[in-house]
Amino acid sequence: MVKAKRWNETKKRDAAAGLLMILPCVLFMTVFVMIPLVFALYRSLLDYRVYSDVQEWVGLKNYIQILSTELFMDSFKNVLLLTAFIVLLMVIFGFFFAHVLKNLPEKVSNTVKVIIYIPGLISGMAASIIFLFLTNYSGGLINGILSALNKDIIAFDREGIWPYISIIFPSLWLGFGYNCLVLYAGLLNIPKTYYEAAALDGASAWDRLWHITLPNMKNYFVLIIVNLVASNMQMFEIPLMMTGGGPLLKTYTPVLYVYNSYRDNAATQSLTIAAAVLIMIPIALVNLIVFKVIKSEKSSDD
Amino acid sequence: MLKQKLFKISMYVVATFVLIIVCVPILWMIISAFKSRSEVLPTELKIFPSVWHFDNFTKVFKKYYDIDFVSSYGSTFMVSIAGMILSLVVNSMAGYAFARIDFPLKKFFWAYVIFQMFIPGISILITSIKVCSVMGMMNTFLVLVLPGVANGYNVFYFRQFFLSMPRSYEEAASLDGLGRFGIYLKIFIPMAVTPLIIIGASVFMGYWNSYLWPSLTVTSNIELKQIMQVLLVLRTRYRSDYGVVVAGTIISVTGPLVIFAIAQKYIVQGITISGIK
Repeated sequence: MVKAKRWNETKKRDAAAGLLMILPCVLFMTVFVMIPLVFALYRSLLDYRVYSDVQEWVGLKNYIQILSTELFMDSFKNVLLLTAFIVLLMVIFGFFFAHVLKNLPEKVSNTVKVIIYIPGLISGMAASIIFLFLTNYSGGLINGILSALNKDIIAFDREGIWPYISIIFPSLWLGFGYNCLVLYAGLLNIPKTYYEAAALDGASAWDRLWHITLPNMKNYFVLIIVNLVASNMQMFEIPLMMTGGGPLLKTYTPVLYVYNSYRDNAATQSLTIAAAVLIMIPIALVNLIVFKVIKSEKSSDD
Repeated sequence: MLKQKLFKISMYVVATFVLIIVCVPILWMIISAFKSRSEVLPTELKIFPSVWHFDNFTKVFKKYYDIDFVSSYGSTFMVSIAGMILSLVVNSMAGYAFARIDFPLKKFFWAYVIFQMFIPGISILITSIKVCSVMGMMNTFLVLVLPGVANGYNVFYFRQFFLSMPRSYEEAASLDGLGRFGIYLKIFIPMAVTPLIIIGASVFMGYWNSYLWPSLTVTSNIELKQIMQVLLVLRTRYRSDYGVVVAGTIISVTGPLVIFAIAQKYIVQGITISGIK
């Protein structure tokens, strides 16, 4: 009897302690995520005039209008293209260099790991300033080298494919260290015995890559791809600084669209909010994948 | 034998090439910060300055009506530290509760936390500003710190970490008469130094490097303007004296660099072992 009572009391105390310990977290999330989210969904269904304070329920009109706004839809296409290139190149280079790290002597690779991580500390803003300096038309390092070699100099922010490269390259430079280290971790986690068994069977390097390395690193690939997609779909500082969305709005991104229309057109704020809500859909879908993977990884660990 | 040697050499060649790409932009910045106005963006390429100048750095610290680098550096540091500490306390405590305690509606609250991971910042940017302005937080220290404190991913990682610790820890501690808070504080937190450092460093960098949020919420208070906002102002102001912008950028990176120097071993190892940031 006494024991049961005490057990009950502990349970009650646990319930109180547990709720109390999650309270600050839940509170912060409610105020700074849930309320703004509900508010955004609500506002996107209204025709709300900031100045006249007229509010009118318009249903999905804002969404229909934003989906037929060419600038917004084009910005979506641009960011998809840029993200596709960044993800592809990052995965290929990262995977390749993870192998290089694995084959270097440990002392050397430890130093290399630390150095390649350093750009990851730099913000998009600071990195943009660094690359704007390197790609400056008349006095930048790259054009300086080109003209010393008697080659034509390049207008990076408006010539041919260079505006795309001036966004893709800094993005790769910033994220390379982290993503490469994740893939390196994946590589190290594959048991050596797999390769030894394959060597006994006389498997070629290609077979080993295709049948051992890639399948065993699946989760690592999914994790970095999904992270890269979610963060690059929201790219803002690098296009803002490197190209300003130009030339001819070819590198304009959805976040630039929301940022600029929020600042410039207070009158059509409901429309801007609808645009911002729409950005959520592809990113939420992508996050759903990462969550599924983390979950399956956990269950395979157990 | 020869083939093996060639393979080894090729590894070094690739590694050197990558290190050059990673380091050249940074080294070029550092060298250029000491160049005079006419040399920093030269018409003819010259690597080192003819005379090493320090003017660019003194110009960075000059006060203007719209920016004050020194107080911005200080306030960015305070914001990042405050955000980091609050974030570690709030998220690790929730992570502990979700991992080790049974409480009512646990499944619901867990779903609530996970749900936050699906909401990108941009989608709630405008209405978050509204919420903060209703609470009278615009242009204050709080608007910079509070919105970034709770983070679903960090709760998730702390929970994962605490789940992996043996049950016997709690049993021994409750025999000693420790309550739940005592167990969390005295037993679990000291065991969690590695995740605390890894997550703490990444939270610090997130605050330090942010531009979008401060640029829309701190517009009138010069001292509270964050370092990335100041960089943009410097770039507009010193378009023809780029050495100053370069010097400012270098100083702006020192915050995360110090944190990385402290946490470097944990971060690189942490990623290599578990694949998490």
